[in-house]
Parts: sequence; structure tokens; C-alpha cells
Amino acid sequence: MVKKRPQLDLDDLHRLKWLLGGLLILLSVSTVLYLEIDAWLLMGLTTLGVALVMVKPSLPSRIPKLFHTLAFPGIVAIFLGDLYLTAEVLPALVRLDILLLLYRGITYRQRRDDLQLIVLGLFLIVLAGVLTVSLLFAVQILAFSACALSFMLAVTLVQGAETEAAKGNETPAWVHRMRPGLWRRVRAATDARIALLGVGLFGGLVVISGLLFMAIPRVELQNSLFLERFMTKQARTGFSDRIKFGDVTNIQQDDSVAVSIDVTDPSRIPAQPYWRMVVLDEYRDETFRLSARLRRESFARERTAANLRGKARARLGRQDYWTFYMESGVSRYLPLAGHFEMLRFRDRQHFRVAESLGIVALRDDPVSMTAYRVEGMQVLAELADPGFRDLLKESRLNGEALSQMELRLSEGDRQIVEQAVREITHGSTLSPGNFAQRASEWLAQRHVYGLKSEIPQGAGDPLVRWMVSTEPGHCELFAGALVMLARAEGIPARVVTGFRGGSWNGFSDNYTLRNSDAHAWCELYDSKSGLWLRADPTPGSAVLNQETTLLSAVDTREVDRSWTARFDSLRIFWYRRIVNFDQRSQVETIKAVKEATQNTGKRLRAWLDDWGRRVKAWLAQPWDVERLIRSFAGILFVLAASWVGVILMRKIKRGAWRQRGGRLHPVRMEAGRWLRRFADHSIEGEIRNDLERLRYGDERSWAKAELVFRMARKTWRQARRSKSPSLR
Amino acid sequence: MTTATKTLAAGWDGPGVGRKKQRVAFRWRNVVWALIYPRREQHMVPTVSGVLLIGLSLGIGMAAYNSSNNILFITLALMLACLILSGVLAWFNFSKVRWQIGRPSLARVGQSTSVTLELVNGKTFLPTYGLDCVMRARPGVKDEVMRAETTLTGKGMDVKAIWKEKPEEEVAHLRLSSRLDPQDSSILDWEWVPKKRGLWKLGLRHVASFFPFGFFNKRLRAVLEREVIVWPEAREYQWAATTGAKWLSGASNISRTGQGSDLLALRRYEPGDSHRLIHWKASARTRQLLVRQFSAEATESFSLWVQSKEAGWTNAEQYEVLVSFAATLAEDLFRAGRLASVRIDDGVAKPIRHWRDLESWLDTLSVLEMEKSNADTIPRDALRTNRNLITFVPEGQAGVVAMIDGEKAATA
Repeated sequence: MVKKRPQLDLDDLHRLKWLLGGLLILLSVSTVLYLEIDAWLLMGLTTLGVALVMVKPSLPSRIPKLFHTLAFPGIVAIFLGDLYLTAEVLPALVRLDILLLLYRGITYRQRRDDLQLIVLGLFLIVLAGVLTVSLLFAVQILAFSACALSFMLAVTLVQGAETEAAKGNETPAWVHRMRPGLWRRVRAATDARIALLGVGLFGGLVVISGLLFMAIPRVELQNSLFLERFMTKQARTGFSDRIKFGDVTNIQQDDSVAVSIDVTDPSRIPAQPYWRMVVLDEYRDETFRLSARLRRESFARERTAANLRGKARARLGRQDYWTFYMESGVSRYLPLAGHFEMLRFRDRQHFRVAESLGIVALRDDPVSMTAYRVEGMQVLAELADPGFRDLLKESRLNGEALSQMELRLSEGDRQIVEQAVREITHGSTLSPGNFAQRASEWLAQRHVYGLKSEIPQGAGDPLVRWMVSTEPGHCELFAGALVMLARAEGIPARVVTGFRGGSWNGFSDNYTLRNSDAHAWCELYDSKSGLWLRADPTPGSAVLNQETTLLSAVDTREVDRSWTARFDSLRIFWYRRIVNFDQRSQVETIKAVKEATQNTGKRLRAWLDDWGRRVKAWLAQPWDVERLIRSFAGILFVLAASWVGVILMRKIKRGAWRQRGGRLHPVRMEAGRWLRRFADHSIEGEIRNDLERLRYGDERSWAKAELVFRMARKTWRQARRSKSPSLR
Repeated sequence: MTTATKTLAAGWDGPGVGRKKQRVAFRWRNVVWALIYPRREQHMVPTVSGVLLIGLSLGIGMAAYNSSNNILFITLALMLACLILSGVLAWFNFSKVRWQIGRPSLARVGQSTSVTLELVNGKTFLPTYGLDCVMRARPGVKDEVMRAETTLTGKGMDVKAIWKEKPEEEVAHLRLSSRLDPQDSSILDWEWVPKKRGLWKLGLRHVASFFPFGFFNKRLRAVLEREVIVWPEAREYQWAATTGAKWLSGASNISRTGQGSDLLALRRYEPGDSHRLIHWKASARTRQLLVRQFSAEATESFSLWVQSKEAGWTNAEQYEVLVSFAATLAEDLFRAGRLASVRIDDGVAKPIRHWRDLESWLDTLSVLEMEKSNADTIPRDALRTNRNLITFVPEGQAGVVAMIDGEKAATA
């Protein structure tokens, strides 16, 4: 008699539904982990509360009725209070959502509450996805979908089996009838093949949604995302227009990805690229900052657009595209390698441009990943700024000090710096480039590079104190010291922060900048050429990286093939194929599919033509008896092989191994293996009889196969341990 | 005979029953039209959660188009894929499932009758879940031909009239609450209590399922129907104090020798007579052996004559009382072994010897309709010629009296 799989009863289904609902809530509230909204306490409370009631579903029955009566007015009051105090709509909405989830999680639910649970969870996840554009969203929405579908399935099964549902907040009957061993029963009731099919169907769901995503027609409305208005966010890393000593070094402690760059021509990336973000011209109170005057004079009025035409002239020939994916929380200043021809955002942005500084600044710190494409970017070690020469002349005439020339030091400190300059120049007049070289060497003689640096105690400016000491220093101190020395020599100078270097991801073929690549360096103005020259005084760098030759080599560059790179490649895939997918990508995909289809067709036709020619040539060869016999034998072999193939396929299709007495039955095969092993070592006993029954006997007479094999394994181990040829 | 034909012949229906497919030329027009107006056999009605999902999809779709945000687009795609998956799983669930209505047991007005629906899952390894079989019982006309009905051209009052007729239809939901394993069957029971006698059609209106996610209620129209005759209600009645008791409460004796208990006569002893029959007292008095002779004991049989066309039956309720009274009386008499024959109106009297004779007559009574007629009451000569004839006459507005040979015997 065929043993029937046991079924889950209504109580078990209820409990399963309860657990899945709880899991759904836990999944939803985990968005707080990357949403960066202040809801940690609520998340902790919800996680704890829901996990508790998942384990002990009888707990909600102890909640007094008054709690249910006051719950919704209370939640609304908390929301209004939150809105009033924080004045931020979106974070308040998120907290409201979590509160509702918490309430739904710790009380018994009706069907409409189950639906509410899904809607609340979905809202939270989609919101987090929209705001962060994080790869975690992809993981979470997939997990949420799987969980929500399982939950809905459980709800439907319960609904089908239930005759009368509990009303309101009444304790449902299943809570009183709980039995231990739910998972054992679920496992026993689950058919492995159906579970596998379920997994396959979910895979199909993902594939279909991917296809739908690509096929949904897009219309470019050029609207910016409305949700961003309701949330503010501060840059996490410290790339702002005000940097204290140690800020950049702090960023370097973080090894996470800051910017990913897709380049159409990888050979355009220099061996040691510098990605400029912020220019800091003013130094006072131990802080480098973007001076108010420079901000006023250099930055144009704020614009709202999706495209920005740059200073570089269009070139003939193939255009290079650099697509930047800057993670949220890095900065509102966009990393750029130089002047560009065109900058295109994914959607409309509010931004300001300082063309002379080579800087583009967004209005707010972006709350999500910011993608922009730069066309025709000039990757150079200098920045043309002829206008500054005029400004310099004008200021000299007026006797007015420019911030790029200004030294706000005490007389004592000024004398120390001038003494240092004399040591560097030996009284001669040096060009800005030469000065930078010598000053860097002077600094390198005194200091070594180190992330942990100490500024000696004492009076006066800390930067001057460090400069004349022999303490190790980080990039900001070196850059600051060079700027100070250059200004003392009369050379306009400024500090620039951004990223230096990066790594090439060998899996996704893109350039990756990590926060640990954060760097500070200087730019010295050469009045003769009208260029700002990049000078990097930090030991280990080429001070004047003036060469414009571009390394053509991905192979000479550091190629990252670590597990981190593998994970980052997923993120890049997410950005390239999902987040940045637009009408153009859709057209390109359609073209690619069309081309691939046409090429496949062409290749197939060519292959068939080739085979046709070969067969014709073979047939045209002279025939003799031997060739005839060989051909006939060949045809017979092909026919026999096909026949065997068909028989095998039929057997597989009909589940031949499942037929009674079928030798290919996995249980019989496993029993055969154990019998052979036992025969080799002459192991006898009852276990052998059981195994023989499994191997040769009627399926109806089988004992539980798992137990027999477990016993066989135990016997085998005992036999090996005692080295005894026979046990019983 | 193919398997499919055999199955149909055996009363099976459902997606699991193979039908000869009609070859229809593929036309896009048909496909599009089928999407807009699905076939009558398959209907999908969105549930609350389905409406919610569609609403959410629309909302997210609008937001996605408005903002060109790919996160919203991928959420939209995922939701649409969920709808597709729901459809595929619902199709899997119904696939190769067949059903059959079992022959109902005795059906009688006011008494519970068990109607069974057997479901078989013919799939190889996929189970079927959560079927909701909507059973229907409706008064039917024998061998009626179903005609397609449309309300498109109907007048409002006609449609209302049709709706008014609907309450006669009884509907019951039979739920498959457990899993129906592959190659397994399950029997669902419907305890049907008929409210009216006559010919009824028991059928499966449709089989519905919310499986898998409850977004849609997918319905498959069923064409399975089985005719059943509902016998009249078993009615309580009271015997008349005198006549009824006299004729119906016990047996009567007749004047011939037999094995009864009453002494009929004495006769001379003949060799072979049992010694136990010798009347010793009389033998001593007459000085010769006399034996006792007992009277034969016999029960008398009755004939039932239902006059449905009698002018007196003007009230439908009273008529129903008549039919149920006649049926109950006939059954009671038959059980007591005292029903000889039955007759309706001008028909021929049918002898009732076996249960099947009685059942046949009850079937006839079940579909007996009241006919307005000005015919006379039972002819007097019939009463004279037929002994033990039971007839029925109206009494008051709702009562019915059973008369034996013209005398009042029982009232219902």
C-alpha cells in the first residue's frame, strides 16, 4: 500500500501563517538598517516584540482590551507629535509604518489585517529602495516577495479550510491547541519535488519580472523624484566645503565603495588618477574651507536640469563616456577628473557649477545613489584658469589679498614659514612646479606618511608646529603645509580634496573608488601658463604628476579579483542594468536582441550550408562495398542509439525508478551499495536482512528506509572501530 | 471507446476529462476578445486582495512613469509577474481534476439527503488545494433542453421576474479543505434537505478556487447535472375515532376455518386430528369426541384512489397536503401489508406488490400537478362496487380527509 504523505491540519496552517507574518514584519523593518532614518529604537522594539510572539503566540492574549482601544488613536497621536517635532514628513511616515507593523505583529490578525501587513511592509521596502537605490533593496524585495507569496498561500489555505474565523481581538482557538514539532510535520507534509518546483517557479517569477522590466515601455518625462523633497541627509564621509585636519583620514578608515565608474575606453584612465571634488582656498582656525568670496564669484546660479554643457570643446571621433555611480552619503560635490564636454544626470537635478574651479555641486547631499554620465572628459594634471591671472593682477594693483594667497598667521609663525621657504629655495626664484617639487622633498625629509599623526603641543598655528616638527603626517597636513609654503613664496595655492587612485574590478570591468582612496592634495597656480598645477606632496606620490600619457593597460593596473570585488560587481550590475536602465538602454537592448537573433540565424544558415556541402561532397565520393557497409552500419548505429535514447526518455518520463521492483530506485540503489560494502567485510545480522528487503523486496514490505540506512551506517562504524569481521 | 468517452459516459466532468478538441484556426482577434470577455467556462473574479494588488500596481506604475524611477518600475514588474504566477499556479491547480456527482440516496421533502461529489486529481505529482464546489439544486422539467439566455435584450420586468424565480434554486458550497494528492480522490458530502417535491436537477454550478494567493477567484463552469425525484413529505395524520379504528387499527375475522384464535365450530373427531384440538368438555357432554374448529384470521387490503382533478382542490397548499397524505398513507399501508392497489384519477388501478411498485407510485405522486377541473367527485357506483376504497376529500381551507368506503377514517 502506498504510504500517503501526512497533511497539515488547520492549527498547523494557522501557526505557519502566524510565523510567516512575523517573518514578513522582521524583513520589512530591517530596511531601517540601510535607510538611515532614526528609527533604531522602534526597529529594535518591533524585532523583539514580533520575535517573542512568533515563539509564543499565546502572548497577545494577555494584552488588555484597553490597549487595543487606545492603539490607533495613540499611534496617530505619536505620528502627529513626531511630525510636529521633527518637521520631516518621510522619516515620520516611516516611523508610523513601523509602529503599525509592530501593532499588527503583536496582535491576532484577521484577513484584512494580513493584507495590511503586506501593504505596510511593501511601502517600507519600496520607499527604502527609492531613496537609497541600494543593491540591498534587490535582495530585500526578492526575499519579501518570496515571504509574502508564501504568506498569502498560507492565508488562502487557511481560508479554504476554516469554517469560522475568530472575531476581533479574540484569542483564536489554534493558540490553545498548539503542539510541538511543527517543523517536523511541515517537513513530513512537504514533497521535495514540489518544494523544488516552488523554487523553480520563484526563479521563473524573477526572470519574468526582469523581462517585464525591460519590456515596459518608457517615457522620459524628466521629472525628478518627488520623495527626495521630504527627506534631508548629511554627507557621511566629510567631503564638504569645510575640512578640519583628520577629516579625510577618517574617510580613509572606511573601505566601502564610494564611486563606481564605467568607462567606454579603459585606456583613458591614467595610472594614478586624481578625482577632484572640492577646492578649499581659505585657511583659518585650523580649518581649510571654501571661502565665501570664491563661492560667490566662481559658482554660477543654481540650475535645475538633466544635462550640463561643460567647458571642454567637442572633439571629432569617437566619444568617451564615463558613467559615475556615486553612493549616497559621499558628498554633494561630484568627483571629476577634469573639464568635460557634457554631463548628463539620470534625472533632473538642482546643481551649481564653478567652471573655473572645475567643480559641480548638487544643491543637497543626495539621499540615494547618484548616477551621471560625463562625455569628453579631459583627464589632465592641470586645470586651465586664465581668468585667475587677471584676478591676480587686479588684486596686486589694488593691494588686496586673494584667499589663494592669504596667510593668516601670527608674526612668529610667519617668520617660521618664511625661514622654511628660504631653506627650500636657497634664495632663488623658482617656478611653481619646481617650488612644489623642492618643498615636497623638504617636507618628506622631515616627515613620514602615517594615518596617525600627532601635532606637537605649543603656541601658534598647529600646521606650522607640525611642519617644523618631525612627526609623521597624513595627506591633509602635507597638502596644507605645501599650500602654506607656496603662499609664503608668493605662489597662489589651494587644497583640493577628492579621491586618488582606485582599483579595476576584474569581474564587472569597471573602476572602483573606495572611501579609503580619499585624498587631499594641492594646486599651485602658474601665472605664465595660466594653469593650476596639481602637486601632491604626500610621500609615495609623484609630486608633479604632469605626464599626460595614459596607460592603456588594464593589465598594468591593479586588477581586483577579491570576493569584495565579486560582490561589488553585483552592485555594478544592479546600477548598470536596473537603476540606470532608461529608454536609450531599452532601445539598445532591443537592438542587441535583434542583432543576436539575426546573427544566430545567419550562423545557423551558414552552418547548415556548410553541412549540406559536406554531405554532398561525401555522397559524391566513389562508392565501394566497404564504404557501403560502413555507411549502413553507421546508420544502424544512429538508429539504435536513438531508439535507446527514446526508451530511456520514456522510462525517465514514466518514473521508471519509482515502479515497483525498479532497479533504478534510489532506495534500492543505496541498499545495494550498503550490501556490497557489508559483503566485502562479511558483516551479517538483522540489518543485512533489512537491507536485502530494501534491495530486492516488495516496496510494500519496506521498513522506513532512512532508519535502515542510519542503522547500517552505525553498524558499519562499529565494525570498523572494533575491526571485527562479524557483529552478531 | 476511448478513455475520455468512457469517463464522460460514467458521468465525469472537469479539466481532467479529455474532450475532442475542435480545431479552430488561430486568430489574434479571438485571443484579444477572449482576454476581454473570457469564455463562459472560465471566469476570474478579483478578490479584495486582487483588487488591492491591481490598485497598488496601478499606483506604482503611475509613480514609476511620473518619476522614471527604475526601482518603481522593477517593483511594478515584480507585481505583474506575481499576477502571472498566480494565474499559472491556478491553472496547475485545476489541471487534470475531474468530478462526478454520486447518485443521491432517497430524497424526500423535509428529510436530509446525502449528495456526494467525488473529486479526482489525475495529475502525476502535483496536488490540488482549496477547491470550492458550488452545488445547485433546481426544480427541473424532465428532458428539458437548456437554452442560452441573455439579459441584453430582456426587459427590466422580465429580468426581475427571472430573479424572482431564482430563490427556488438551492446552492451549497462544498469545500475541499484538505490537500488532494495526485492520483487520489476525495468525496465531498452535501446534506440536502429538499423543500419541494417533484423533479429536481442536482448539479455542479461551478468549481472555484482562490488558490494560490487569493488574488483571484477562478471559476470553472461545470456542466454536470443529475436528475432526482423528490418524494412528497411524510405527513402526520390522525385516525378517526370510530371508523378509522374499526377498519385500520386491527385485523378482522372471516367465517371460514383457519388457524385463527377465535372458536368457529365443533366437529366430530377424525383420525389424524391433533389431540390438542379435542374439546374435552363438549365431548364429555355429548359422549362423542369433538374437536375445535377455529375461524380463519385475515387482514383486509385497501385501494387508494387519488382524485387530483377534483373540483374541490383549489388551494395549492391543500393540494400538497393531499399528495403528501396519500403518499404517507400508501407507505404506511404497504408496510402493514394492507395496500392492494393505487389509482390516480381516471387511470388504471395499479396493484402494489413490491417496494418498486410503491416507489413508482410515489414517483408519480411526486410530479403530480394540480389541474383545475370541474369533474364530479368520486362516482357513487365506484363506492358501491369497490370495498375498502380509500379516497380523499378536502376539509376546510387546508385539511384533507381520507374516507374509507365513504366514511371518514383519517385526517391530515
